[in-house]
Amino acid sequence: MRKLWLNLKLFYEGAVLSYIALFRWLRPSTYLATKVLSPLMMMLFFVFLGTYARGAGNESFYVIGNAVQMAAMSGIYGVTMSITGDRWDGTLPYLFASPANRMALFVGRAIIHVIDGMFGVVLGFFWGVALLGLDLSQTNLASLALVILVTTFSTSGLGLFLGSLSLMTRNVMFVNNTVFFLLLIFSGANIEVATLPGWMQSVSWGLPLTRGIASAREVIAGKSLAEVLPLLGGEFLLGVVYVAIGYGFFNWFEFQAKKRGTLEAV
Amino acid sequence: MKLRRFWDYVRVVRVTALMTFRQNVADMFILFAVLFQPLIIVVMAMWMLKDMGGDYAIWVVVGSGMTGLWSSLLFVSGNSITGERWVGTLEYLVSSPTPMQVVVFGKTLSNVIQSLFSMVLSYALVSLMLGTPINIAQPGLFAISVVFTTISFISFGLIIAAAFVVSPEVQRWQNGLEFPIYILAGFLFPIALLPGWTTPLSYLLPPYWAAQALHATAAGTAQLSGLAVSWGVMLGLSVVLFAISGGLFRSVLRKARVDATLGMQ
Repeated sequence: MRKLWLNLKLFYEGAVLSYIALFRWLRPSTYLATKVLSPLMMMLFFVFLGTYARGAGNESFYVIGNAVQMAAMSGIYGVTMSITGDRWDGTLPYLFASPANRMALFVGRAIIHVIDGMFGVVLGFFWGVALLGLDLSQTNLASLALVILVTTFSTSGLGLFLGSLSLMTRNVMFVNNTVFFLLLIFSGANIEVATLPGWMQSVSWGLPLTRGIASAREVIAGKSLAEVLPLLGGEFLLGVVYVAIGYGFFNWFEFQAKKRGTLEAV
Repeated sequence: MKLRRFWDYVRVVRVTALMTFRQNVADMFILFAVLFQPLIIVVMAMWMLKDMGGDYAIWVVVGSGMTGLWSSLLFVSGNSITGERWVGTLEYLVSSPTPMQVVVFGKTLSNVIQSLFSMVLSYALVSLMLGTPINIAQPGLFAISVVFTTISFISFGLIIAAAFVVSPEVQRWQNGLEFPIYILAGFLFPIALLPGWTTPLSYLLPPYWAAQALHATAAGTAQLSGLAVSWGVMLGLSVVLFAISGGLFRSVLRKARVDATLGMQ
């Protein structure tokens, strides 16, 4: 019982402290530029590009896709940097020397970013309604909230996986940027997955966000939660798989780093 | 004496540009902005605009290349002075007899020329995707437009680099400035889609006039009168921006010598 309590405490403190550590150097203007202005402008860019391509009346496709894509902003950049930060700040040896439960420690890195990511997606939908005429009159908001939660979780799972990989490379931002931009193609945010070649569709369905974006489009079109449950369940399972793979890599990295003395090698 | 000083400056620009190039090719963040991001945008734009017909392929090549040009200008040239601050060499740079503006000019020149490579790569990728080389309809005029684009982007880069040092508050908005220019400059869609009140903002931006000239000459729709306007405005804006950047660089020197806050983040 005491062990469980300690692990919960570690999970909570790790979550809060990693988030504070990541953003303590930020001023409100940096946060606003990165988490508010930049996603809004990215959404506007793709909505205008989509409107240019397909004509007026198709805005909601791009608004929904890019609003949900905002989960990746926190899920990928935030989570990855929370994990990699320990390496760059020199605290990784202390972390690996401690007897702390690795799972609580690892997953704790992502939890606040899930909340922050949900805020980002909600903000995206707010911009969609306020500026781009997104119609939510047919939408069950509770179902949409669940879609957002599950999608943000699965994207953070990808972030944990990338965070583990980033412990082995110096080019964290390169990996993050590449994956984030590739998701813009593969997730269906801006291109209908069904129009992609077969191999690209296979990649799409193996990534988080794809089912989340599809679920969001269906829920906003008026479908019930039961109807999108298969998609949403798949999105959740995918998130669990990415967390598990990421955790496996994290443990492998710790083992190899201790064995070879490469804990701080870059 | 003045001529000798001029050649000294040319030498500094050449050496700085070469050194910047060597540093950039080893930096994966820069390579992403110059090479990978424009290519991803090419693929996305080709898919999204494939039903447009006509000369959409060359439109995508130019537009995607320009996104690489702007992102590189914002994140690489924009950090050309603050980068010196991060590694502790800014004070030495400021106290050297060569004007800092000359050094930053060399850095920005290198970045802009290097970023033009993103357009070449976009061209190669689109040709590969279509299985046939695509044509630049007015190659001579296109080449002249590239020269004007380079000059105007350098002048814009000098302003950004100096502004980021004079006011760190401005730099904090750096991440949010990438896509607004993609939109306002009409890189991949015409600004006629935007609300009317944004048009004057577009007219104030050198990237908008560069996009106008490059799109038109690539597609073969350019007429000399229209091109002359684009080139003239790019040149005029460049003169104004060079003059403003001179003032900003004096502010940087003032920070160094009077306020002693140059090295502060």
